[in-house]
Amino acid sequence: MPGNWYLASYKYKFNISHNSHFLKKLKDKKIIGNQCSGCNRVFFPPRLVCGKCLVEPDQWVDIRETGKVATYAIVYLKDPETGEIQEKPTVLVHQDGADTAILAKLNPEVDFKDTYVGMPVKVHWAENRTGGLMDIEYYDVLEDDAEDLNSTKD
Amino acid sequence: MGRQVAIASAGFSEHASKRSDVNMAELVSEAVEDCLKNAPGVEFKDIDAFVNGNMPAFEGSNMPELWMTDWMGARNKPLLRVTTGGTTGGTVAIAGYYTVAAGLPKIDTVLAIAFEQQSQGDTSVGLASVAYGEISVLNTMGIPYDQLSRLLSAGAAIGVAAYQATNYMSKTNITEEDLARVVVQNRRNAAKTWWTHLKMPDLTIEEVLDTPYISYPLRYGMVCPASDGACAMLFTTEEKAKDICDIPVFVNGVASVANETAVLGYDGSGTGQIDPSDQLGAMKSSELAYNQAGISFPRKEIDYAEVYSPFPNQELMWVEKLGLFEETTAPKMYETGITALRGELPINCSGGVNATNAIGASAMERPAEAALQIMGKADNQVPKTVHTSIGHGWGGSLNLCTLMVMSDEPQRKWKMGVK
Amino acid sequence: MEKVGIVGYYQVKLHSDANYGRYEMIFEAVRGAVDMAGLKKKDISTVISCTNDYYDGRTISNCFTVEVGGGYMADESKVEMDGAHAVLYGLMRILSGNHKLAVIWGGSMPSCFPYHSTRLFETDPTWERPLTYVNDITSAGFQMRSYTEKYGVSAEEIASVAVKNRKNAVKNPLALAEAQNSNINVKEVLASDIYADPVTELMVAQPCDGVAALLLAPERQALKITDNPVWITGVGYSQEAYYLGDRNLYESKSMELAGKIAFDCAGIKDPKSEIDVAELFEAYAHEELIFSEALGLAEKGKGASVNSEINGDISINPSGGATSGNPPCATGLIRVIEAAKQLRGEANGYQVNNAKKAIASGQIGMCAQNNILFVLEGGN
Repeated sequence: MPGNWYLASYKYKFNISHNSHFLKKLKDKKIIGNQCSGCNRVFFPPRLVCGKCLVEPDQWVDIRETGKVATYAIVYLKDPETGEIQEKPTVLVHQDGADTAILAKLNPEVDFKDTYVGMPVKVHWAENRTGGLMDIEYYDVLEDDAEDLNSTKD
Repeated sequence: MGRQVAIASAGFSEHASKRSDVNMAELVSEAVEDCLKNAPGVEFKDIDAFVNGNMPAFEGSNMPELWMTDWMGARNKPLLRVTTGGTTGGTVAIAGYYTVAAGLPKIDTVLAIAFEQQSQGDTSVGLASVAYGEISVLNTMGIPYDQLSRLLSAGAAIGVAAYQATNYMSKTNITEEDLARVVVQNRRNAAKTWWTHLKMPDLTIEEVLDTPYISYPLRYGMVCPASDGACAMLFTTEEKAKDICDIPVFVNGVASVANETAVLGYDGSGTGQIDPSDQLGAMKSSELAYNQAGISFPRKEIDYAEVYSPFPNQELMWVEKLGLFEETTAPKMYETGITALRGELPINCSGGVNATNAIGASAMERPAEAALQIMGKADNQVPKTVHTSIGHGWGGSLNLCTLMVMSDEPQRKWKMGVK
Repeated sequence: MEKVGIVGYYQVKLHSDANYGRYEMIFEAVRGAVDMAGLKKKDISTVISCTNDYYDGRTISNCFTVEVGGGYMADESKVEMDGAHAVLYGLMRILSGNHKLAVIWGGSMPSCFPYHSTRLFETDPTWERPLTYVNDITSAGFQMRSYTEKYGVSAEEIASVAVKNRKNAVKNPLALAEAQNSNINVKEVLASDIYADPVTELMVAQPCDGVAALLLAPERQALKITDNPVWITGVGYSQEAYYLGDRNLYESKSMELAGKIAFDCAGIKDPKSEIDVAELFEAYAHEELIFSEALGLAEKGKGASVNSEINGDISINPSGGATSGNPPCATGLIRVIEAAKQLRGEANGYQVNNAKKAIASGQIGMCAQNNILFVLEGGN
């Protein structure tokens, strides 16, 4: 007999008040992450608890706009209506200054076949920012000898 | 504290894409019967306790071990249920081991059962819901559903495995041919094992490569099927095992170390696994398990391995991460036949997960087949004598791992890898 | 069985609709337990969690909780039953000699999902689910009716159990606010809404949000960590038949077997005289009577004649039991914690005098199909 997992009516409860500071800064084109003083790892987007130390991260640090592609994948999905196969590229970007990677999109004009692990990218801010993760509209691909990369990592 | 544990028998049900001739309880009883058939002299009254597990989302039944009590022979007996997603079979086997190792009064013989009847439900929903909570948080923080949905639509397991494939391939320069070769070896092996799902004795590399991409670089022809099936293993003490079988298999090392998740961090945070092919959890698991088993040179001391690889790139990655081969040399090992049936270190002669994947059971079928190889009772038995073997599993969001190290010699001296 | 010590524990305050998230709750519980023992993350060898995929609305419910639960790079696994069964698995891992410190945590948030609809997924899909006669609600009614008819126990006697537990809960600061009823009486309990005739709402242990955690260590380590360890000296667990028609609902065969094994293991010959405190997971008031009879604390049918008040013949559920709040996957674990509190003299306001030996139980399944019982002994 057919069963129905009621997930549509499940209320996922979460408290992201620890993220509100971070989301507000995005509106001002500033990226910050929270840092665990136990292991000095920086989390972007912010994390509630550092698993390595089992404590709450207690500092906020600035993170640069540049980063590298940590990994990527091209998912091929069949459109349920047209039956057409679509390519959906997704990247994970490891932001400079952070120890985590975030799900992101690349500039839509970039040919995804050129993507490689370690490709340098930079945040492209959205025109109308609302204080949410979509304020980072997508990532622009940088040339390996681009000026933005001249600033050395601390 | 603790005592030596041995595996006395293992059994399976028939695996197929749709076992519509049985319901879950009957499927489980097939595996239980097969396990006891291979352990002459052991009857239901001799089983002191049970461990059961599957991935409950697939069949729409919560805690199914409750209604299959009688089909397992567990009425009025102690029963523990362990479920950990893709690694369920492995963690059920490990729990079976711990139940015996603990030495609780009157619990000497334990039947561990893992199963899945995926045809009863929607596999992709079952897999996708791993991350529903995290996706809700990301959505609240501003990312629209259509950007998140691509994570779900391809089924979470292949979705996350694709990222892992990307990193592994960029580090090692393997080709699609290398991937197809692994698939061909697995499925030809599966044809010689009675309980497997995809039996393809004449599969060729060209046939595998002639299928469309599902998630670059993986093609449809390379990915595992969704199967219905069950597996059962009999754990007992050293003394009792010697009465039940000629060659008892001693469980000398177990570990199931968890890492933080890949691709998505918890509660909308970023992931700490920058390179998902690093697999620190698996490396720590093998360190702990090999330490317990007294193994210092896995490449030389392990004779046979069953690794959990629904996708061929993972098989190449795992055999390196688990210390069986040097980094980046795995493709060569497959090319030169070292991992084949008659090779120096045969891998997955049962066909592995690439040929049969009943998710709840798969991680148990690996140590089960590895144990049968030591006993000399596997269907696709390797010609060389197997003294030490390993059975491995992975799951979750590339963060969970299980490992069981077995041998025909008991390891009495425990070496603890932890403080 | 070698002695294994409970060296730390923590339970979050129970809420029917907590306004914080799952991860925070788990972290609060695990960090609280680790802090109580004065330990650090690096001391954690193994973590056993107890959650249920259906209650959490996600498969592999332990997958994302690795970090908050203290399991990062630790040997971790998950039990999908009651929190007390997770304590069992942690106990086994310690007894194996492979691990020196086990963290056990469990809980869920029923405010996120329709509890009773979810419980329907436990019913056998072939017979029971389509017929809807047997489910978690109706089975409570069957069980109570069977018990009252068999032994002539009155509804008032059963309601008194609910009254006792709800009054006990008042003194338990962590209990669910809705369950802390200082002025409750038998008439009020009987007059509350019908849940499943003859069970009324106030006889039912209300599902609520909560997480609890506890720490286990082998004897030598336990004595180094704390001056006042609580020893687990016996454990027994058993699962009876599934179909209600195959069982006698007026008694609990699985609790009897679990009790026999646990008492045997701990060397307890006469539980009635030797046990000072019993924290039993009673999903409904009548189950407390059925369990006390199954464990030999009273003769069959005479459960109500035992003085189970605090410092009575045997104090049963001084914390209020599951009636004080039932967070699925945590309730049994909380019973173990409450029993440990009594033995350490930390149950301020509801302490049983001179508590030396205690029992704690957990259950899952309709009409308590699978029961587990622990025997605990105070260190001093």
